[in-house]
Amino acid sequence: MNARFDFIMHWIWAIVWSLLAISGFSMVGAKHGWLLNFDYALVDYIHRIFATIFVILTFISIFYEVFRNIKNDSKKLAWFVIGRSGYQLFTFITTLILIMTGAIIWICNEFDIVAAGFALIIHEYISYIALSSVIWHIYKKCHALIWPKKKVEG
Amino acid sequence: MLQKPWYKIFVWFVASFFFFLAAGVIISILRPGPTEAEVMKFMEAMMKAMDTSMMGIAMNLENDSELKNIILFSSSLTLPIVIISSIIGFLIRLVKRGDRNV
Repeated sequence: MNARFDFIMHWIWAIVWSLLAISGFSMVGAKHGWLLNFDYALVDYIHRIFATIFVILTFISIFYEVFRNIKNDSKKLAWFVIGRSGYQLFTFITTLILIMTGAIIWICNEFDIVAAGFALIIHEYISYIALSSVIWHIYKKCHALIWPKKKVEG
Repeated sequence: MLQKPWYKIFVWFVASFFFFLAAGVIISILRPGPTEAEVMKFMEAMMKAMDTSMMGIAMNLENDSELKNIILFSSSLTLPIVIISSIIGFLIRLVKRGDRNV
């Protein structure tokens, strides 16, 4: 089976982002905790671990695109998560903003609460926008959900 | 692969997951304010989260010399193995770059 790199990256990205989203959204505030049964300590831990994995995935994606450009390969990879136009570009920008604000929250939480607070607002609202964009993306690609009917003989 | 049943089930699962998550977020935003019990739970859990956060773990690790030694020893074994195997992997890809299945 010759599974393409961009196809695999897409689904790894989807799994990691879904875990980040559910853990993140259940930590927004006291009204949101019910999503993961108010276990904020475990949720915070999961969010940080998967955030680290997410940063590594982003670096791998960026380096892959840079090497493709060095080799003058300008073919559009349909499944790749980041790219020059459309939803790929949108995902790239939101990913970078989420990573940067996430890093500020993580690092500055102990010594500069103002910076952490500001980053938290941006991180929260960008993630609402990103979640809406994922719902839109699923709608645009909903043909993937069509279950193939078995052909009846005769 | 796109037509295999397990892949279809996986795609359905991920799509449903995101729709439920979006519904959960909208419900959380639009529901009436948190009860005092929920606010207490939130504040308690955020304090507990400090203990299990990287900062909290680092603080507890500093006080436990045995655990610190285990971590230092095991990472001094693991990191060279990971780096060397990654380099070997890249070398194999370089040598076999003509082969479509590498």
